[in-house]
Amino acid sequence: MRHLKLIWVLAAKDLRIEYRSRQAFLTTLFFAVLILIVFNFAFDPGSASTRDASPGILWVALLFPGMIQLNRSFQSEMEEGTLQGIVMSPVDRGVFFLGKLLANWLFLLAIDIFILIAFVVFFNFAVEPRLFWVVLLMFLVGGGFSAVGTVFAAMVSNVRIREVMLPILLFPIIVPIILAAVNATREVLIHNDFSTLGRWLQLLVAFDVIFLAAGFLVFDYVVGE
Amino acid sequence: MQSTADRHLTFAAWLLIPLYIVGVVALWAAFLHAPTERVMGEVQRIFYFHVGAAWTAFFAFFIVFVAGILYLWRRNPFWDEFGAASAEIGVIFTTIVLTTGPIWARPIWNTWWPWGDPRVTTTLVLWLIYVAYFILRSTLPEGEKRARFAAVFGIIGFIDVPIVFLSIRWWRTIHPVVITRTGARLEPEMFQAMMIAVVAFTFLYFALLFLRTAMRLQNNAAEEMTHIVRERSE
Repeated sequence: MRHLKLIWVLAAKDLRIEYRSRQAFLTTLFFAVLILIVFNFAFDPGSASTRDASPGILWVALLFPGMIQLNRSFQSEMEEGTLQGIVMSPVDRGVFFLGKLLANWLFLLAIDIFILIAFVVFFNFAVEPRLFWVVLLMFLVGGGFSAVGTVFAAMVSNVRIREVMLPILLFPIIVPIILAAVNATREVLIHNDFSTLGRWLQLLVAFDVIFLAAGFLVFDYVVGE
Repeated sequence: MQSTADRHLTFAAWLLIPLYIVGVVALWAAFLHAPTERVMGEVQRIFYFHVGAAWTAFFAFFIVFVAGILYLWRRNPFWDEFGAASAEIGVIFTTIVLTTGPIWARPIWNTWWPWGDPRVTTTLVLWLIYVAYFILRSTLPEGEKRARFAAVFGIIGFIDVPIVFLSIRWWRTIHPVVITRTGARLEPEMFQAMMIAVVAFTFLYFALLFLRTAMRLQNNAAEEMTHIVRERSE
């Protein structure tokens, strides 16, 4: 119980800071909308091929801004010296990881909803009948993405070129969740075919569980000492 | 009393003898012993080097994973250098796999890059992960922190490999599979050539691993000495 409360205290701190400034929220949302617009310029809007590619475009628009948010999540901790404070406080490092992860995950989900609305508007897609599945995918992808991303963000917060370092480390590792997300979305939204959905959901759940556990175990070595 | 670096140099030197013998036998087996493939022709002989390099690359990344765990457990800088040396060789051998593959695939599959084959694409992702490993190392100053981060990344990267393979296989079985590797059985001479190539590449791997580990340890020792000399002269 005490651990759960601590996790929530840590996550709530991050979310409260974000709620008061809204800086990351607005900039990442703006970036996502820009991606959606640029892809419409790059492809022929309204054509069948763009429609087929749209699940991929949606996930690019969801994951790239997520990366910016991850980078920020440890930057402010470094600048204000709170990282040292938390590391020195009698909080288990695994708990610290889960708190940070929860904040990133919730932030991602909140921003995903707005990006999805922009996607529906720009791509003229009827997402509503399949909304449950799309949100479920966002939830599962967000978990794995934040789990690996939180570990790497903590690592690169020490590095000079962290803005470019994080995507270099993160993208090769999250190849499975990109494939699962894009393919599952395509099956659900375009092909209206649920036969392979279960398999992709299984893969996402497995990825989330494995990297939540791995992050929990190794986080001590990332922020420690 | 030999230093750790010297000991590893001795290992590498001793390995040169079996490496030379098995290496020559492997070349003979690949070019003379194994028959020319009836349909593919001479280009099929690249297969022996391709499989040898692929096996070694996967093994090298497994060693990076093990060295990462040992480093985090024991905190001995030796395991960091050992893991980094193995990752270097792994990247080199993955590069060989990714170059010999397209040379063979272009005349046989009529494409340089078959995205549909899970083995090909997994190897590509593997290459990306371990190149990222070195970019991460290069951005951090030498020391305990770099060793810790490299170990963590090496562990996470290796855990990811089976999931990557599975996801790519599912990705392609959903869509029509254009190219599949035929399940044709190998001629006994071809199988022998392949096994000898694998053994030769394994010897090469260990020789390079000990050599590179020794060089890395010596490099550290030399830097330490420079540091001490500089401090005394001031």
